[in-house]
Amino acid sequence: MLVSLKWLKDYVDVQLAADDISHKLTMAGLEVEEIKNIEPQFSHVVVGRILSVRNHPVADRLLLCEVTDGSQTYNVVCGAKNIAAGDIVPLAKVGAVIPGGYTIKSSVIQGEKSDGMLCSESELEIGDDESGIMHLPADLTPGMPLETALDIGDTVLDVNVTPNRSDCLNMIGIAREVAALTGKKMKPPAVKVKESSEDINALTSVNIIDSDLCPRYTARMIKKVKVGPSPVWLKIRLEAAGMRTINNIVDATNFVMLEMGQPLHAFDFRFLEKEKIIVRKSRDQEEFTSLDGKSRILPAETLLICDGIKPVAIGGIMGGLNSEVKEDTETILLESAYFNPPSIRRSARKLGMSTDAAFRFERGIDPEGVVNALNRAAQLIADLSGGTVGKNYIDEYPNKIPVVRDIPLRIDRIRELIGIEITAKEVVKILRDIGMNLKQNGKGAYLVTPPTCRVDISREIDLIEEVIRLYGYDRVPSNMPDVFITEMEDIPRLKLEEKIRKAMIGNGYTEIVNYSFGTPVAADMLCLRENDERRRSVKITNPLGEDLSVMRTTMIYGLLDTAKRNTNNGCFDLKMFEMGRVFLKRAKGELPEERNMIAGLATGKISDDLWNAGKNVDFYHLKGCLENIFFDLKIDHCKYIPENTESFLHPGKSCAIMMNDKRIGFLGEIHPDVMERIDFKNNVYVFEINMDYLPDKYADKKIIYQEISKFPAVMRDAAFVVSVDLEADRMLNVILEENEDLLENVYVFDVYKGKGIPEGTKSLGLRFSYRASSRTLTDSEVSSIHEKLLQKIIEVTGSKIRA
Amino acid sequence: MINELQQLGKDALAELKDAKTLDQFQNIRTKYLGRKGLLTGILRNIAKVSDDEKPLFGKLCNELKNSLNANIDEALQKHADLKNQQDLFNDKIDVTLPGNAIKCGRIHPVIQVRQEICSIFASYGFSIVEGPEIELDYYNFEALNIPQDHPARDMQDTFYIEDNVVLRTHTSPVQVRIMEKIQPPLRILSPGKVYRRDSDVSHTPMFHQIEGLLVDQGVNFGDLKGILASFLKKIFGESTVLRFRPSFFPFTEPSAEVDIRCVMCGGKGCRVCGQSGWLEILGSGMVDPAVFKNVNYDSEKYSGFAFGLGLERIAMLKYGISDIRLFFENDIRFLKQF
Repeated sequence: MLVSLKWLKDYVDVQLAADDISHKLTMAGLEVEEIKNIEPQFSHVVVGRILSVRNHPVADRLLLCEVTDGSQTYNVVCGAKNIAAGDIVPLAKVGAVIPGGYTIKSSVIQGEKSDGMLCSESELEIGDDESGIMHLPADLTPGMPLETALDIGDTVLDVNVTPNRSDCLNMIGIAREVAALTGKKMKPPAVKVKESSEDINALTSVNIIDSDLCPRYTARMIKKVKVGPSPVWLKIRLEAAGMRTINNIVDATNFVMLEMGQPLHAFDFRFLEKEKIIVRKSRDQEEFTSLDGKSRILPAETLLICDGIKPVAIGGIMGGLNSEVKEDTETILLESAYFNPPSIRRSARKLGMSTDAAFRFERGIDPEGVVNALNRAAQLIADLSGGTVGKNYIDEYPNKIPVVRDIPLRIDRIRELIGIEITAKEVVKILRDIGMNLKQNGKGAYLVTPPTCRVDISREIDLIEEVIRLYGYDRVPSNMPDVFITEMEDIPRLKLEEKIRKAMIGNGYTEIVNYSFGTPVAADMLCLRENDERRRSVKITNPLGEDLSVMRTTMIYGLLDTAKRNTNNGCFDLKMFEMGRVFLKRAKGELPEERNMIAGLATGKISDDLWNAGKNVDFYHLKGCLENIFFDLKIDHCKYIPENTESFLHPGKSCAIMMNDKRIGFLGEIHPDVMERIDFKNNVYVFEINMDYLPDKYADKKIIYQEISKFPAVMRDAAFVVSVDLEADRMLNVILEENEDLLENVYVFDVYKGKGIPEGTKSLGLRFSYRASSRTLTDSEVSSIHEKLLQKIIEVTGSKIRA
Repeated sequence: MINELQQLGKDALAELKDAKTLDQFQNIRTKYLGRKGLLTGILRNIAKVSDDEKPLFGKLCNELKNSLNANIDEALQKHADLKNQQDLFNDKIDVTLPGNAIKCGRIHPVIQVRQEICSIFASYGFSIVEGPEIELDYYNFEALNIPQDHPARDMQDTFYIEDNVVLRTHTSPVQVRIMEKIQPPLRILSPGKVYRRDSDVSHTPMFHQIEGLLVDQGVNFGDLKGILASFLKKIFGESTVLRFRPSFFPFTEPSAEVDIRCVMCGGKGCRVCGQSGWLEILGSGMVDPAVFKNVNYDSEKYSGFAFGLGLERIAMLKYGISDIRLFFENDIRFLKQF
């Protein structure tokens, strides 16, 4: 809402500076977002009177005028024809600057001297009219600076009116607030209608069929109007409020809407067939062309204002092209109505039409202000257009709009809920200042009736808010409530997440956050199988774009996309992870499943600085990270199995991650086909784990300290030549299954393929560590156990000892 | 004889002073104190000393011998120390070269802010709760006193999944879900992703919010001010100036917008604060009785306050970031700065 301070002063005598008014409004809940100064776009333009006009001797299109500024007479050559001797016009004297930065100079036009310029509205940016020279009111004194004469120059506050405060979507509403905040009195405009003898009821009628959508419809008739441009004062007001001027009739209705908050509509009565108004809902597939020239098929339940035959307006939203006020309009039927707010909102949304009228109706207008605004606008139209207002007005009011009365208010409740010591006297004063009516209702209690424009107030809490808002939030003392111990625990997974996050950071991975939605082609790009549950994606019905239209079912595609973008930026060595949710559709009527995932990606060098340059990341690097995480979480029973991996992973370099026979995630290199499809040329390794599968109570796993042996270990190494397909885990299991007491540990220390090893085999180097807790082992003792284990391996796996 | 002895002592010390190498030190010892050394030679001539002087001569000889031995030992020790030191210096490295441990990754700046805020509210006794990101219209709107066809719905442009299923536009629905299950007293904090249909320099279609709720008997607006003021001072510094001003949220009444004095210009007015000198930081208010009614809390018995804030906004102010979209572009050069 744009609030002109000059206009505001018509209703409240406030002398404060714009900054002070802004501060007061802001601190009362009407936030002023901007203070704009309106200044004239010209200088040295004065009021001039034309003394004489004659034709230019050479050029037909031009006139020669003598113009006076009261003290001096100027010869001015003029290109417009709408002037005559005696007219009062804007005179830009030599040296004047007009919009666009033009400076007026003395010149000779087609042989005639010209010492100035007569200006149109548009040339001075006062209005849109560029048809001819602007005519000024006849009572202005020549010589006056034009900005003074027309009172141009204003300060406009841009007030952010919250959706509850429909009463402040107009000047009088703002003035009421300003009056209450500054202790001044409100001066609402006096509304008086001079009626002719012709009774409107004899000329037309109103029939409301759907009174639930239109509880009240009032109308007046104005005859013998002359449509034309609005006077300058009106143009200036509308301009300051950010509204375009159209003609005196439409401008008058807009002026009253801005002044009182009641949207109005003026019909050209000659186009209303059968001379009547019928208010009804739209019929199936009904078509209508509104004032903006757009033709639409109206949705069902749209409220229409019709004449005896056809729709002439969409109720509360926009008038029709077929009944608009034209240059030759003579008789106006003026509408002032109350429409059901939710229905207006529904229709406006369905139609995609957000108009000033709809904006106000859907927030709720003052049901008792309908007639006052009707009268105000009717008289204004008559005054501006020379018309006469007919006798009486129509007031069809079939459906009483509920108005709230006598809301109980307890002073103690205010004190309790706000934490202040406010007196009943203060409360009463605050509420009365904003137009509330209070009746004592026992000790410390009142019955409060708000003004009918305050449609946001119906409960005690609404009144308490009003009191505290005007009392001042800054006067409420701060207090630190005691901390009490709740029995609620944080969600266990969050602790787990923090641990994982720390482990990932420590492993050199940087956290990213991608959008939860992405492209629908992700599933295909990742070659997900037709029956893969991750094809059960949730779609957004109104996405910002196709590429952001589907909720993700895996985080891998987002990570790949992010990695690719970073690679394009020249960052090739990447280690990233993300924690967040994926979404899977469930049966109809159920909310989608939301899973908490962690996913990671690595590509390029392990370390991205040259100083440390060396190894590239690989499968084992990423696996090492996972092992670190699991170690930290005290999870020691994860298995990595090559079966059951993912269609988008390299089949030879990927695995499923199993915990207690449950598949909790996967790990591996992205399939070269996928990389080709997304046009990404590096080797990329990823993992994804469903954190919901990780045990909540990970910390409960007991750690029992193992005493460290005081006796030395004996190490024995052995290398085996085995089939390339034999997994290291199988070898180790053969050994561990022997449950040899003195074998402390056995692990892989070398894997070799190539020269010296037969094709189809590999060499696997194992280190055995033997130790007893109570004595030093002898060499022969170790040898006999070691030999036994080697024999077992050879026997079970068919491998050979490498020479 | 005695003079000779004294001269010998002087000569030996002088030689010792000039000696540099281990050999030289050994030679000096041999030359003076060896079996055929000079001091030994003089001692052999003790017969030539008069009987009167003999005791003194013997004493001086002994003293000289001991003192020379001590001096040589000391010089040897010094020499060894110096050599050790030298060897270590020869092994010198360039300490200004960069370290070569694996570089730690970074936590996303928005998550860092979340961690900070959560830990502050943990100290006020708030527990962290969660709820679905794809939410029923009922929890996202209706239960929060935002009916269908109400203009307050304009405050948040919504992504729809179905007619009555939305991407949550705020984390407030979580408070309703929790209140349905748990009776007061209650102190909860719900961080999470939220979604609004908006995209420009200051809006992304997804962002992070934290919503807090405290319900108990006798909670008042002063408590709201106290906790939020304490929190903002912890986040932005003890000298932070703040103001509470009336606003409107359908689920709180009275509602308050909390502003801090602009951290960029200190209140003089700048681009960041839109010349106002103030920055909107969070929305808050006393829980509206209509919300309590929806979860069957008795609003005559209990009262409470709720607040919500956007994490990206806090991160932008903390780190001087002017384009919110940077948080979700995940440019590693951006992320590594935090």
